[in-house]
Amino acid sequence: MKKFFALLLTLAMAFTLVACGAEEFELALITDYGTIDDGSFNQGSWEGLEKYAKENKISHKYYQPADEADDAYLNAIDLAVQGGAKVIVTPGFLFEVPIFVAQDRYPDVKFVLLDGSPNNGDWDNFEGRVGDNVVSIFYAEDQSGFLAGYAAVMDGYRNLGYMGGMAVPPVVRFGHGFVQGAEYAAQELGLPEDSININYFYTGTFSPAPEIQTRAAAWYNDGVEVIFVAGGGIFFSVVPAAENAGQFVIGVDTDQSGLSDTVITSALKLLTQSVYDSVESFYNGTFAGGQTRIYSASNMGVGLPMATSKFNTFSQADYDVIFEKIVSGAVVVNNNTEMAPTDIPTSAVVVNDQN
Amino acid sequence: MSFDVLVFLIQQMMFFSIPLLIVALGGMFSERSGVVNIALEGIMIVGAFIGVLFIFFVQGAGIRINGQLLLLLTLLVAAGAGILIALPHAYASVHMKANQVISGTAINMFAPAFAIYVARMIRSVQQIPFTNQFYIESVPILGNIPIIGQFFFQRTYILTYFGFLILIVSWILLYKTPFGLRLRACGEHPQAADSLGINVFKMRYIGVMISGALAGIGGVVFVIPTSITFDATVAGYGFLALAVLIFGQWKPGRILFAAFFFGLMKTVSVAYSSIPFLNNLNISGSVYKMIPFIATLVVLAFSSRKSMAPKAVGVPYDKGSR
Repeated sequence: MKKFFALLLTLAMAFTLVACGAEEFELALITDYGTIDDGSFNQGSWEGLEKYAKENKISHKYYQPADEADDAYLNAIDLAVQGGAKVIVTPGFLFEVPIFVAQDRYPDVKFVLLDGSPNNGDWDNFEGRVGDNVVSIFYAEDQSGFLAGYAAVMDGYRNLGYMGGMAVPPVVRFGHGFVQGAEYAAQELGLPEDSININYFYTGTFSPAPEIQTRAAAWYNDGVEVIFVAGGGIFFSVVPAAENAGQFVIGVDTDQSGLSDTVITSALKLLTQSVYDSVESFYNGTFAGGQTRIYSASNMGVGLPMATSKFNTFSQADYDVIFEKIVSGAVVVNNNTEMAPTDIPTSAVVVNDQN
Repeated sequence: MSFDVLVFLIQQMMFFSIPLLIVALGGMFSERSGVVNIALEGIMIVGAFIGVLFIFFVQGAGIRINGQLLLLLTLLVAAGAGILIALPHAYASVHMKANQVISGTAINMFAPAFAIYVARMIRSVQQIPFTNQFYIESVPILGNIPIIGQFFFQRTYILTYFGFLILIVSWILLYKTPFGLRLRACGEHPQAADSLGINVFKMRYIGVMISGALAGIGGVVFVIPTSITFDATVAGYGFLALAVLIFGQWKPGRILFAAFFFGLMKTVSVAYSSIPFLNNLNISGSVYKMIPFIATLVVLAFSSRKSMAPKAVGVPYDKGSR
C-alpha cells in the first residue's frame, strides 16, 4: 500500500512538472551578473524586450541563472528553450562561451548576444564564430565614456574618478574612453601638464558593498569631485558617499539621473533600443543572423542624455560639436582593451591606477 | 598622518564597526544562553528589509517627521521583525531539540528569498529605495568640542551612539543582573541551572529573541549609511559578526575591540589612498585588499588557543541527561 502511495505521489509530481511546461514563452532573456532590476544593464535590455512583447502581445519571460558560471548559463538557456523560447536575449560578455555551444545545440532558436561574440573561450586554440542564428551586438562604450570625460572636464571638473565593475571589455572601454575624453578636453582648453587627476579602479563586482562606499568616500575626501561609476549595483554604494561629501556621480548604461540628485549625467548605451530592434527584426523576417552589429555614435547607439544632465556650463551646442566630431571620425577613440589605463598616452591627465 | 585623515578613518570605520558590534552582541546573548545562532545573516536581512520598507512607506506616504525619530522608529520595527524571524529558530533548537545549525541555515536561505519576493510583490523590482534624511553633519554643541567633537560628533549617524548604548546595556545586563547570571548559567551548565529552579527553556528563548532583535537592528544600521537602496543582501556581514563574536571571546568588551579591529582593517584596506604614508609606499592595491584577512589570521592564531565558548552551546537541553 505504501509503495502504491509513493508511486501515486511520484506520478502526481511528474504531472505537475508537465503542467508547468505547458505554458510557453516566445521571448526570453537570461540575466547576466546581477538581477533583472539592476538599474542598468540587465534592466535596460529587458525593457527593450518587454516593450516589443507588450506592444505585440507576445509571451515573454526572463530567467536568472542559478550561478555565475558557463554551465549555469547554459542550463538557463536549456530551460528557456524548453519553455518555448524562439528568441533568447543574453546581455553580457560572459555569455560568449555559452552561446558558442548553444548556437549549435539549438539551430532553430535565435540568439541576441549583447557585448560579445560567440567563442570557445580557449585563448590558445581560439575558435570563434557567429552562428547563422545569432546576432552579436557591440557598443562603442569607449565613445560614450569619452563623451562623459570630455563633458566633465569642459564643465570645470579637474579631479575625477573612475570606478568600474569587473574588468570585462565593455567596462574597460568605458574607463579608457573616459580618460581619453578628459585628455582631449584638457588639450582643447590648453590646460597645463598634470593638471587633471583620474583615480582609476575596478571593484571586481557588480553588487553593492560597504567597502565601495568607503573607497568612494576616501576619494571624495582626497578631493575627487566626480566619480564615473560603470557597473549596475556598485552605483548604489557610491551615491551615499557622494551625497555625504556633497560631490557628484556620472551614471552608466541607462539614464540614472532619476536615482539620485548627485548624478550629473550618464554615459549611455542604447541597450533598450538595440534589443527592441533585434526582436523586431525577427518578427518581420529581417533577423540578421551571423552578423555583428556595432552601436556607436554614428548610428546614435551611444551618447549622453543632455536633457536630464546637470552641467554648469557644458551646453547642448558643445555636446553636438564633439558628438559630430566622433561621428565624422575627426576624433578617434582608442578602444583597445588589452592595455592598462596608465598606458593611454596623456599629458594633462594623470591616471592614478589603484588596481 | 594628518589629523583630518585620522578623523576621516574613524568616521568611516564606524560604518563597518557599529553594525558588527550590534549583531555580534546579539549573537552573544544567544550563544551565552546555549543556542548557536548562525542565522545572524538571515535575521539581519529580514531586519534591514522590514526596516527599510517601513522607511519607504513613511517617506512614500509623505509623512514628514524628524529624520532621527523616524530612524529610531525604524530600529524598533526592525527589532520586532528580527524577533519574529528568530522565533522559529528558538522553537526548533529549544523545544524540538533540533540541530541548531540546520534551523539557522534555513533562516539564512529563507531571508533573501523572502525579501526579494515581497519587494517584487510591492514594487515589481527587488530594490527598496530610501531617502537618506538621517545624516548628521555635526551634533549640536557636542560637535563643537575640539578633537573629540571632530572624532565622534561630526559627519555621523545617531546609530553610532545607539551601538554604544547597546554595548553598555548588554554589559550591565549580562554581568550585573540576576537575569544575566541565569542566562550565562544556562549556557555553561543548564542542568545545574535547572536544579536551582531556573527555567532553561525560557532563558534560551529570551536569549534567541534578544539576538533576533539586535541582529534585526544591525541590519538597518548596516544599510542606512552605506547605500540608498536595500538590495536583499547584507554582503556577508552577519557571518563576519559571527567571527567578531568568536574573536571577542563571547564577552562584550572584547567584542567591541574585535568589531573596531575588523572595522579599521576594512577601512584601511579600501581607503589607503587617503593615508599619506601608505599612499606614498606605492604598493599594489591588491596587497591592501588582503590586509583584513591576513590580520584576522594572525590575530586568531595568537588568540584562539584559549577560546572561551560557553560550554553548553549547541547542545539541546535534555532534562534527563547529566
